[in-house]
Amino acid sequence: MPLNEWIPQMAQGCLLTLKLFAVTIVFSVPLGLLLTFLYTSKNRVVTKIIALYILLMRGTPLLLQIFFVYFGLPYLPVIGKYVTINSRFVAGAVAFIFNYAAYFAEIFRGGLLSVDKGQYEAAKVLGLSETQTRFKIVLPQMFRISLPAVSNEAIILIKDTALVTAIGLVDLLKVTKTIVNKTTNVSAFLVATLFYLVMSYILTLVFKFLEKKFDY
Amino acid sequence: MEMITVKGLKKNFGELEVLKGIDLSVQKGDVVAVLGPSGSGKSTFLRCLIDLEEAEGGSIYIEGSPLLEEGKYIPKKQRRELLYKMGMVFQHFNLFPHMSVRDNLILAPLLHKQGSKQELINKANEMLKTVSLAQKLNDMPKSLSGGQKQRIAIARALMQNPDILLFDEPTSALDPELTGEVLRVIKRLAQEKMTMVIVTHEINFAREAANKVLFMDEGYVLAFGTPEEVIDNNKSERIKNFFAKLDTK
Repeated sequence: MPLNEWIPQMAQGCLLTLKLFAVTIVFSVPLGLLLTFLYTSKNRVVTKIIALYILLMRGTPLLLQIFFVYFGLPYLPVIGKYVTINSRFVAGAVAFIFNYAAYFAEIFRGGLLSVDKGQYEAAKVLGLSETQTRFKIVLPQMFRISLPAVSNEAIILIKDTALVTAIGLVDLLKVTKTIVNKTTNVSAFLVATLFYLVMSYILTLVFKFLEKKFDY
Repeated sequence: MEMITVKGLKKNFGELEVLKGIDLSVQKGDVVAVLGPSGSGKSTFLRCLIDLEEAEGGSIYIEGSPLLEEGKYIPKKQRRELLYKMGMVFQHFNLFPHMSVRDNLILAPLLHKQGSKQELINKANEMLKTVSLAQKLNDMPKSLSGGQKQRIAIARALMQNPDILLFDEPTSALDPELTGEVLRVIKRLAQEKMTMVIVTHEINFAREAANKVLFMDEGYVLAFGTPEEVIDNNKSERIKNFFAKLDTK
């Protein structure tokens, strides 16, 4: 096993995996939060639109959504030429962000529903405004309740990133496959497995830390 | 001075009429115990007073200012101002679990600009002494017993300098051996002439601490008077039956 040759190549692929992961988390979590706010707003039209969005994102394969963003957008009538994304990475990231935002929105909504009604009532009798109640009382509890589910989703994401090989991006899995094709040595897959495991393990530790830090 | 005036208060939950025209007048320094069987509308009545439930009809005046007048509420913004004169203590405490005792206590007065942070922390320390929990300032609610939580909740309500305190079954969620410590705090407040309305099942406590008892049944007020008048010497069969079923002596 020529590890000294493989590992630098694989690390290069890993970098793309991590970049995609980071970009997705950074944008999809706030977007998910925004979707949750809209979904739980009193405006019926808005909630219907968000519900449809979430259905679309969760109800169709992520791979299909990646294809749609990269290959499909230019063919949209009228707006097609304005929304064309030429960069494979950006296209992949956009698909991931919009897809994961839908999942995070549902996770946060679940967290929101788990906040006891008595918390809102206590905030009200203490004279807190709706905004103060949301930011000082509800959101901190919602985040804490949502953490285990967010952690789960993050670990799925780190492995899901492998889907971008379908639009020609060279991530950890793609690098590994190339090595195996060239060398006919399948043990490269084993090394890739270890890479994924280490990344997942680090994520697990990070979320464990966060859960502990925000425990109450 | 009339602290709370209620006239013809009506409240429905869908088809169900829960309050069928309640009248009440609470004077400064009154301690009103609200008694009655389960489902009589006691808690709903209390919750209407502090706008946790919206009534369908009637009037509520807090210190002479209308909250609800003949079925019409004042605008939301003014409501918040008016309601801040009242503190409320819940059956299940409703402390904010993600905040320390200190932050639970100073949050509302800080947002209402009732003092600097340091002033409010000093005040919080004083309040904790009055509920005999002087050492708990930096504890998290999770680490407290039920009785301690409820006393913190009382301290939190007191932090807003309320003119009136409302209690919704403050000891019902507590183990029997923990009710005493909470009732003692409420009794002390009664001695200090705090105006209070207390929904409770503790008949003995009502007799000792309250100067007035409101007896409710099926959405009506059946009796309102001194504890002796309502609990011990009432002529109504319904009320006599209720107290006979409880071992009140």
